[in-house]
Amino acid sequence: MIEILPAPWEVILGHARACYPRECCGILLGEVGDGGSRRRVTIAVACANAYQGEQSDRFELDPADQFEAQRLARKEGLEVLGFFHSHPDCDAYFSATDLAHSWPWYSNLVVSIRHGGFDHARAFRANEAQTESTSEELICPTS
Amino acid sequence: MPHILIPAPLRQYAGGQSSVEAPGATVAEVLAALTSLHPDLRKHLFSDQGGLRSFVNIYVGDEDIRYLEKEQTAVGASETLTIVPSIAGGAR
Ligand SMILES: [Zn+2]
Repeated sequence: MIEILPAPWEVILGHARACYPRECCGILLGEVGDGGSRRRVTIAVACANAYQGEQSDRFELDPADQFEAQRLARKEGLEVLGFFHSHPDCDAYFSATDLAHSWPWYSNLVVSIRHGGFDHARAFRANEAQTESTSEELICPTS
Repeated sequence: MPHILIPAPLRQYAGGQSSVEAPGATVAEVLAALTSLHPDLRKHLFSDQGGLRSFVNIYVGDEDIRYLEKEQTAVGASETLTIVPSIAGGAR
């Protein structure tokens, strides 16, 4: 289960709308409980899409942004819980490309943006072998 | 001794620790020491050919070793190595 508090939720939606029709991406920081299965996102860091090429259906995080996010998490006593990205004019599924470039354990929030506005969001986690993903219960503010 | 910050997905292969100390004067030496202490980490950090996996980034202090001398980058005795997973994706 992953819960996203209102302040980071606004950061995520704002970044997704601003980047439309390109995919946006960013990093989710927060607290973990129950051995990692309960997660609460308290900070979302909006990052530049570092993918070199057409960004309407691809994204890449710059490792330098993740390095800084890890440092911020340690400073704040938080954990890097996962990542978010948008799917412009597409449903919020976890694609084969998403799965192939993900890591286990992390939560992956996918936000569907249609015609520049928020449509829906879902969260996913990859298995250890990165051969499949399962959906993770998502609790977010109603927008 | 240098210490290595372990990201959450790999901690289960490092005895549940978020930070591990391992000796060495270069990145290659420190990672070799780390994976001999915690052998389960090896396949998550290195490919079958023995090189660092392309989805794994290593920082020494504040610097990505890609822009230094890669695995031959020198590591000071009190320096921190950070393992940063690469993340990407796309709708299609
Ligand atoms: Zn995606």
